[in-house]
Amino acid sequence: MENFFDKIVELFTTPEYIDSLLHGFLLTIEIAFFAVLIGFLLGLIIALVETGKSKWFAPLRFICRVYVTIIRGTPMALQLFIMFFVIFAIRDFPQIVTAILAFAFNSAAYCSEIIRGGILSVDAGQTEAGLALGLSPLTVFHKIVFPQAIKNIIPSLGNEVITVIKETAIVSMVGMYDLNMAAKDIGSGQNMASYVVPMFVAALFYLAVVYLITFVIKRVEKHMRRSDARA
Amino acid sequence: MPEHKNVISVRSLKKAFDSNKVLNGIDFDLFEGEKVVVLGPSGSGKSTFLRCINRLEEPTSGEISFEDTVISDKNIQEMRAKIGMVFQHFNLINNLTVMENLTLAPVKLHRMSADEAEKKARELLRHIGLISKAGAYPASLSGGQKQRVAIVRALMMEPKVLLFDEPTSALDPESIGDVLELIHEVVDDGMTIMIVTHEMDFAKEIASRVVFIDGGKIIEEGTPAAFFSHPKTERVREFLKKVL
Ligand SMILES: Nc1ncnc2c1ncn2[C@@H]1O[C@H](COP(=O)(O)OP(=O)(O)OP(=O)(O)O)[C@@H](O)[C@H]1O
Ligand SMILES: [Mg+2]
Repeated sequence: MENFFDKIVELFTTPEYIDSLLHGFLLTIEIAFFAVLIGFLLGLIIALVETGKSKWFAPLRFICRVYVTIIRGTPMALQLFIMFFVIFAIRDFPQIVTAILAFAFNSAAYCSEIIRGGILSVDAGQTEAGLALGLSPLTVFHKIVFPQAIKNIIPSLGNEVITVIKETAIVSMVGMYDLNMAAKDIGSGQNMASYVVPMFVAALFYLAVVYLITFVIKRVEKHMRRSDARA
Repeated sequence: MPEHKNVISVRSLKKAFDSNKVLNGIDFDLFEGEKVVVLGPSGSGKSTFLRCINRLEEPTSGEISFEDTVISDKNIQEMRAKIGMVFQHFNLINNLTVMENLTLAPVKLHRMSADEAEKKARELLRHIGLISKAGAYPASLSGGQKQRVAIVRALMMEPKVLLFDEPTSALDPESIGDVLELIHEVVDDGMTIMIVTHEMDFAKEIASRVVFIDGGKIIEEGTPAAFFSHPKTERVREFLKKVL
């Protein structure tokens, strides 16, 4: 036990280790952040196509369905490999971009399902009221449907963000130096010579971010629920 | 009725939901200043008729014009801005305050500036005794309050005609009176309206014409005096026996 604490102190006082961990942590956050951002926007587009009424959308709707089915039906790790070794098997193509896109394309499918559910959860009367006033479908979506849908799906979106952050750990499988990889790297080093401590610390890093996001989501949710209040 | 402008004209309107033929050829004209009460048994297509007029339902066939302009997918937004609608379930926008519900459309559609809209909204809210609710969200209003806000929201657009689809059917008996009173005022101000309602006394009081729909067709129409005292068809006699 004493050894364990000694190692923790060693880890936090050796600049080289701290550097590695922070580097890895930063990469994890970067990938997750941009993946979620792009994934959400793509997911929103897919959800709009899938819930859209226009006849012109029919072929697009089909493509979206197929896309979502494939993404949800195959392992993330395989999707990552396909992105790295097939689609972006281009020399000198930045690894981080490939990774971000891999997770973004994956998250888009899940986000689209969440957003679609959110849109469908908004009472049709809300849309009708807006349209009956003469507002354009776009305004109705932007001012009425979307804000209400988002409110309903904030918790699910929060879960998706957390899932993506943790799932990015598999980028170590393609040799990227994320938080997970940093822990392994430090642990296998001659000085540390123990996986327990760096992995314990890496776990704390993941936990801290997830906890922070959970906290933020709770606040946002509370703020958005204010229109439900029966004053 | 001399010199009265045609506000809405409906020609051979048909509407089917898949194989369910709901409207089977409706011909109808609404003239300026008219107060038309639409009656008919449940499921006869009254709501569908009203909703086809502002194209919340896409007609299967037929033609609907507003002031001599044929309503199409191209001009529908412009037309809807002139055709107000009041729903059975109020449909106030849940994520907007009462004030925002009133000002959203007129400001977005450049009918008035934000200041003008707010001023007008305040006047209307004061008039219906709900100025204290300006900043409240719909969830904190009673049914009757919601419906009165919904009515003034429609008025904010200064529509040429107002369509009411059972505006009091979702209300408790106490608030029905308040809402009918407000509709009465709107009518007295000269608004052209079409209203589906089960409030027969109110219908008799305000109607300039009664239209009876059954099986997706208008099977009888006339002045309230004639319609209620001397119905021409057996179907209407039956209906009146049940509701009066
Ligand atoms: N969106 C829809 N999809 C499918 N069928 C519909 C739809 N709206 C209405 N209908 C059908 O059309 C018929 C007429 O409905 P509508 O609501 O117009 O009747 P109504 O006269 O308003 O009845 P009520 O007095 O009960 O309100 C019914 O058979 C109903 O099931
Ligand atoms: Mg109805």
